[in-house]
Amino acid sequence: MENKWEMLGSSNEDREKIWSKNRTFAGDVWFRFRHKPTSIAGLVIIVLLMLFALLGPMFTDYSYSTQNLEVVNIPPRMKVYETPDGSGYLYVTQALKVVQVSRDGIMGNQLKKVREEADSSMTIFDCSGTEVALYYGAKPYVIADPQTRVIYPSAHVWNKSYVLGTDSLGRDILTRLMYGTRVSLMVAFVAAAVNMIIGILFGGISGYAGGMVDTVMMRIVDIISTIPLTLYVILIMVFLESGLQSIIIALGTVYWVDMARVVRGQVLSLKQQEFVMAARTIGSSTRTILLQHLIPNAMGSILVTVTMLIPSAIFMEAFLGYLGIGLKPPLASLGTMCNDATENLRSCPHQMFIPALVICLIMFAFNFVGDGLRDALDPKLKK
Amino acid sequence: MIRYFAKRLGIMLVALFLIMLLTFCIMHAVPGGPFTSDRNMSEEVEAALNAKYHLDRPLPEQFFEYVSGVLRGDLGPSYKYPGKEVNDFVENGFPVSARLGFVTIVFVLLAAIPMGILAAVKNGKWQDMLLMAVATIGVTIPSFVIASVLIYVFSFKLNVLPTYGLDTWKGYILPVVALGGYSISYMARLMRSSLLEVMGQDYIRTARAKGLSEIKVILKHAMRNALIPVVTVLGPTIANLLTGSFVIEKIFAIPGLGGYFVTSVSQRDYTTIMGVTIFYASFLMAMILLVDVFYCLIDPRIKYE
Repeated sequence: MENKWEMLGSSNEDREKIWSKNRTFAGDVWFRFRHKPTSIAGLVIIVLLMLFALLGPMFTDYSYSTQNLEVVNIPPRMKVYETPDGSGYLYVTQALKVVQVSRDGIMGNQLKKVREEADSSMTIFDCSGTEVALYYGAKPYVIADPQTRVIYPSAHVWNKSYVLGTDSLGRDILTRLMYGTRVSLMVAFVAAAVNMIIGILFGGISGYAGGMVDTVMMRIVDIISTIPLTLYVILIMVFLESGLQSIIIALGTVYWVDMARVVRGQVLSLKQQEFVMAARTIGSSTRTILLQHLIPNAMGSILVTVTMLIPSAIFMEAFLGYLGIGLKPPLASLGTMCNDATENLRSCPHQMFIPALVICLIMFAFNFVGDGLRDALDPKLKK
Repeated sequence: MIRYFAKRLGIMLVALFLIMLLTFCIMHAVPGGPFTSDRNMSEEVEAALNAKYHLDRPLPEQFFEYVSGVLRGDLGPSYKYPGKEVNDFVENGFPVSARLGFVTIVFVLLAAIPMGILAAVKNGKWQDMLLMAVATIGVTIPSFVIASVLIYVFSFKLNVLPTYGLDTWKGYILPVVALGGYSISYMARLMRSSLLEVMGQDYIRTARAKGLSEIKVILKHAMRNALIPVVTVLGPTIANLLTGSFVIEKIFAIPGLGGYFVTSVSQRDYTTIMGVTIFYASFLMAMILLVDVFYCLIDPRIKYE
């Protein structure tokens, strides 16, 4: 370079310019959130379950309350016997009835009973012209030729009519599972929303007002938090009669205490900051300061608390349902489905384990999403 | 410190009074009296029953009478079982529940603390991963699901453990595991994180620098501080076990107080619900206060104001 005093090219003017795109707070949170595989997995599970619960019922032929007492306690995978002519299968129900099953697992009509041969523990049924015998002398019950007493060859087929089987009243478990998931998720979301509103208002006012108001309000919170939540929820349920609204009211009014504490703590520290003073100087009302300046700034911790609250609500709803003080039958929730299945645990474990699995999935998903959100919203907390 | 606990005691008493008022109001606000839900009774019989249980008196008087009864330790008669006192339920059921709860607490501590220590010592290795995966699963599964799976596997399939009752030591295994599953997982996670935090402190480095064995460093130096968060959650854990016992006692047909409570709820036996709720609430509050006193005793750094 000969002339050291040469003018710089214009391209160097914006050397100091920040080239990377400005990321918003939400974008930043999303960036951190999606880099954690467990959180994404949780989010995907929640979305899938919601789709399952909301859209699923459109694709089933059954309603959650239709009972069909002829097909009670049918498992998803059935042990069947071939018909004499080999065209299909026969399935023996727990009530000792014989139902036709097609080759690909669709359940057909019940066979007509011809006569009872009690001395040889057989019931004779009519299977499109030929007689078949149901031998109930020893378990497992088998289907045999009444004359030769040769047991027909058996096979296992997946149930196509009732994919997850039926419960003890002959209701389709898959359909009930959809409605149950819907009810459980709805209870949890509504309860979380109600708690959030109560908690934000209570904690916000308490933290912002300070002084005597704060002391009294926090003393109330102290007193309420000493009352065991489960007992309180059960008492409310006794008072309100079982039903969907009652559960929502009961759960909606118990979990706000934590939320109130979180919001109060946030508001206490935020209200000392300059932007609040600025807002006050230009004459904003308390309401505006609280709702437009303080609460949005506290939204991070509020969101984390809410995502942690949803699994507690689902847990509690399942608990109530399992104790039999939740919903009124025939409405289903995951907890009541487990409760209904307890009696049949030995013979039909799938009735219990399928809804239980869904509960666990929901719990997992929300816990993962909550963890991910906490790390994403407040990286300082991350260890 | 004494002032602090006096204040806590005051809050507790106010809360108890509120619970009594709340249960009383709820029970009397339920549509119809406790006797209307049954069969059709003639009006005279109903009036006689109401008179017998003092339901014909004005409400404040009834409440006053009830509170003074509770203060004397009398929880009143059961509405659904004539001749039975709520005290009978508590006296019969509580020892059973308390024994189950005590065994569970001991089991939880014996299982969770070593699990947490092992996970912290093997931080990042497969042992840690495995234990924490189990603990994560443990906090997401409701106790009735754990109980059903255990019954299905150990009682129905393997046929080695009984499905109900607490007659032998074998009967305790399944209820204790099902009841304690959540608490074990929760505590193990807490133990791990608090031990990891303590292990990063300077005095641990000092202890290592002077040549102590790793076992001594962990058990004698780190554990004392790492155990403190675990002690703090003992109170909520007791509460959790107590309410968890509602379900567990129902599943395993254990004649404990939780079982009575659930039955009285489904039968709408109002006085029993009230009495047992008040008993539970006062027991829980007392336990939580006790844990806090204990907490304060083991950690001299804590000064309550």
